[in-house]
Amino acid sequence: MRTPRLDAIRPTRRAILAAMGGALAGTATAAFAPRAFAAGEIRIEHAFGEAVLPGPATRVVSLGYTTHDTLLALDVVPLATRQWFGDEPFGVWPWAREKLGDAQPPVISGEVAIETVASLQPDLIVGIGSGISEAEYAILSQIAPTVMHARGAPVYGTPWDEVTRVLARATGKDAMAEELIAQTEAQFEAARERHPDWAGQTAVAAYHFAGETGAFTSNDGRGRFLAELGFRPSETIDTLGADTFYAALSPEDLSPLDVDLLVWISSFDAAPDLVALPMRRTLAAHTQGREVFAGEVTAAALSFGSILSLPYALTQLEGDIAAALDGDPATPVASAVEAGIAP
Amino acid sequence: MVVATLLVVACALTLGVGARGVGPAELWRILTAFDPSDPAHLTVASIRLPRLVAGLVAGAALGMAGTVMQALTRNPLADPGLLGVSAGAAFSVVLGSLLLGRADTGIVTALVFPGAAIAAGMVFALGGGLRGDVGAVRLTLAGAAMNALLISLVAALVLLRSESLEVYRFWVTGSLAQAGQRPLLAMGLVVAATAFLGLVLAPVIETLSLGAAMARGLGTRLMRAQAGALFLVTVLTGAAVAVAGPIAFLGLMVPPLARRITGHNLRAELVVAAAIGATILLFADTIGRLLLAPAEVRVGVMTALMGGPVFIWIARGLKGGWRA
Repeated sequence: MRTPRLDAIRPTRRAILAAMGGALAGTATAAFAPRAFAAGEIRIEHAFGEAVLPGPATRVVSLGYTTHDTLLALDVVPLATRQWFGDEPFGVWPWAREKLGDAQPPVISGEVAIETVASLQPDLIVGIGSGISEAEYAILSQIAPTVMHARGAPVYGTPWDEVTRVLARATGKDAMAEELIAQTEAQFEAARERHPDWAGQTAVAAYHFAGETGAFTSNDGRGRFLAELGFRPSETIDTLGADTFYAALSPEDLSPLDVDLLVWISSFDAAPDLVALPMRRTLAAHTQGREVFAGEVTAAALSFGSILSLPYALTQLEGDIAAALDGDPATPVASAVEAGIAP
Repeated sequence: MVVATLLVVACALTLGVGARGVGPAELWRILTAFDPSDPAHLTVASIRLPRLVAGLVAGAALGMAGTVMQALTRNPLADPGLLGVSAGAAFSVVLGSLLLGRADTGIVTALVFPGAAIAAGMVFALGGGLRGDVGAVRLTLAGAAMNALLISLVAALVLLRSESLEVYRFWVTGSLAQAGQRPLLAMGLVVAATAFLGLVLAPVIETLSLGAAMARGLGTRLMRAQAGALFLVTVLTGAAVAVAGPIAFLGLMVPPLARRITGHNLRAELVVAAAIGATILLFADTIGRLLLAPAEVRVGVMTALMGGPVFIWIARGLKGGWRA
């Protein structure tokens, strides 16, 4: 158990579960193939079988650590959400709060309480990115049709657009989903157009957690976010983390982090630990002011990597990334200055 | 002599080996002409030196704590980790960090001492200490139960809030990687002072290892001697935990080795145990840094890997019926 755990940074429950289960590998492949059957019936194939819904679901329990974001985006208020990390009411973070309205869904934390799920009488259970076992699935799918991640895909690695499409099919909101996905993609495209100089520069999302420093590979949602902005991943990090979604580094040699843009992901606002990290000070990315600090909420938005949280993270980070990459080490990067990690 | 040589070798390896090899000439330059912009210099000064100090402090403390504990309990399998003292220290820190916020403030770290003391006191009381009759078996069972209870409590606290998992990772398996952020100087002084006290008390504690009746016969005031030994174990373990987190099995491995070198003389045993403890911990840390490079294996994991076979070796060597 070398690196169990979790935060959004890596530190996240799903990371720990993923690391323990050795469940992550490769990238997601779309296996949610639609098939036509009885009129009105919705069939969704997934890793543990097939979910058959008589019609669009309205009463949905969300057991994925982040899937309530996607449901809220589709204007489906879940009957229950799952606790990942943080103290947000109902497990819903700022970027999704407005969509929640006055609803007060119970939050399921730790193991999935199957009795709670049953008592809510759902007509759909979302298990994508929930880490539930096949045995738990077998019980849950008797309560209501249960959708899991795609066959052959990593448990926690379903890309945001795919989650959105699957949940839209289950809730009968395909048109809305396509529109939302297009909107989000347009936001990233607009950002790329505003900053053509970002294209091809290297960028890495790094963490420093419980004394260990490392970075997320381009397979991870946080790495993908940077790629969406036109950045190039670090080959060193991708090689080191080829079997998983992050690469742990030696505290004595952080040189793989010396890229054009270094984004520190710190869901627990652990800036003092970064300040105390000796070798960080030898990185050109540090001395030339090319570090951006993603504190609690921004880091969580990146870690959620949902259709709602990604645009939020983009808004939070765009100005800082631009300031970091303007070629002038003297330009202050607001988040880094505030965190006390600026040169 | 062998021990001293090995200790020097362990120190040299700690400073010289790692992701970036540093030769003797380079080490000399770092001592004489330190250049803070040179990554190699910074590595040695800011990462490996604190690790070395932490390894010396925690290793020496645990070696001595294990030795005292084995004399006190007359149990060659006694270890501050196995008897709940480390777990008590870790538990109080996790609890404190939950109540007070971040884990690495001085106040939270200082909680290791009351935590270790309460755990040691409870094990002692449960083991029959209040009735003046601490049996080795009873004490060991009480310690095992306390250890299990405290570890469960730590896990329960952590399940309440996922933020504390970050804290938990350090406090459940020790590591020297964060040595630079730990109170090395203060704990070094605490260990030095306690070690001195241990040398003074050694002859009295030694009589405990002869059994209660014999000790009484030799004029030892049993309760006082036991309380003194318990105090030593608590403070030494607490200081080690404050510097390196809980490190299992080190206190178990060291005393038998020390006894082979010194024979039955607790005072000499303590001195040798301190050196052996530091040596093993530093070797374990260096191996842990090389094993899965560039990532590191936590030193607490390394000592557990090394300690398992030693545990079996000692247990197999025990006479049937367990001397007690």
